[in-house]
Amino acid sequence: METYSYVNIFETKGLEYILLICFMVMMVLLFRYMRAGMRDKS
Amino acid sequence: MARVADERQSLFSFFKDQLRPRGKLITPFNVISIPVIIAGVIILFFRFTQGLGATTNLSQQNPWGIWIGFDVVTGVAFAGGAYVLTFAVYVMRMDKFHPIIRATVLNGFLAYVFYAGALVFDLGRPWHVINPVIGNAFGYNSVLFLVAWHFMLYMTAEFVEFSPVITEWLGLKKARRVANSLTLAAVILGISLSTLHQSGLGALFLMAKPKIHPLWYSEFIPIFFFVSSIFAGISMVIFESTISHRVFKMQMGPGSHERLNEIIIGLARGATIAMFVYYFFKALIFIHDDQWALIKGFWGAWYLTEVLGFVLVPMVLFAYGSRHKAVGIIKIAAVLTLIGVLLNRLNISVIAFNWNVADKYIPHWMEIVVTLTVVFSEIWIFRWIVNRMPVMREPGALGSPNRKRELQSLN
Repeated sequence: METYSYVNIFETKGLEYILLICFMVMMVLLFRYMRAGMRDKS
Repeated sequence: MARVADERQSLFSFFKDQLRPRGKLITPFNVISIPVIIAGVIILFFRFTQGLGATTNLSQQNPWGIWIGFDVVTGVAFAGGAYVLTFAVYVMRMDKFHPIIRATVLNGFLAYVFYAGALVFDLGRPWHVINPVIGNAFGYNSVLFLVAWHFMLYMTAEFVEFSPVITEWLGLKKARRVANSLTLAAVILGISLSTLHQSGLGALFLMAKPKIHPLWYSEFIPIFFFVSSIFAGISMVIFESTISHRVFKMQMGPGSHERLNEIIIGLARGATIAMFVYYFFKALIFIHDDQWALIKGFWGAWYLTEVLGFVLVPMVLFAYGSRHKAVGIIKIAAVLTLIGVLLNRLNISVIAFNWNVADKYIPHWMEIVVTLTVVFSEIWIFRWIVNRMPVMREPGALGSPNRKRELQSLN
């Protein structure tokens, strides 16, 4: 019988949530990186 | 009465003067483009008299070729800079981009006229192009119905956005005031239309799910098309303004070089963010559709070339260039991005389309000549307008020098 595993990262879409969290963290880092360039200018 | 006749005579002599060719006739661009345009016109004559079969490799299996894949699907994405820039300048009040707004709107308008106009070449019965307008079988359930109306309305909106330049060229003070007052409304309408028809072009491919390779097909193609049109448009603005700055250097005031560099750095920031969002969507769809197994083999390698080489690499270069004010790196990133968007659109519409059939479409040389004809014709018209109207020159001065002299002599 096929069973549903709650620890399988693919079946629970866990990978997509991890990607989303990584995206949000990296977005903040990207903004900080580019803002540093703008601060240097002023 | 005599004054009206004088005015008419003055207008006639003005247009006669404007039609006179300017600059050198023998230039590398002219030497290449004139024979191509002549050949393209001849091919188009055969296309409209003998049909699509005489000049293209299109078939029932492959009904769309590079006239749709390059001219319409890619050309319209490259024209996206107009709605991005007008949004930044007129809605977000980012005035630093103002010096390039006229050239960008002109480029966008001409791109739509020529590239969307190229749709007519690809219609088996080109006279049916008028159907969405006159109501003969409206076809309002079709995505093409939406795209057709949006193209027409957007071209009108872009013409209104550009009309202050025409009134300045003609020296019409009152008309200029009216044209200026319409600009903001035209911009808002244009942005709304753009978001929908850029994604609408992607929606055209939703019905072709069995034909497109799964690495390129997604229910989210419309969103990919819209987001990629933002950074494609920005990259085209960087590319076009860099070339225009060299070609029309004489028309620009002092300090324009420094101003352009600042503009390019600002545009690079916008492109970085748009590409970052696009990349996230790509990764999310890849994981959601569990496409790991598809990465093996030729198509997987081709997909990674597009996504890593022409999205991730230019995104990093844009971020680095804007952070360190390295304009040269930003320009390289813009070119890579343009190649990437071209690859992506051609992959969806031509290369990875019918990827698993034996009878693969390869464009006929005549299709390539016609495509080059469309591109070169647009550049010719762009150059003609920029050499006559106040597109690159400082805005505000009414009338071209000759027209001003004529109007003064009448007063």
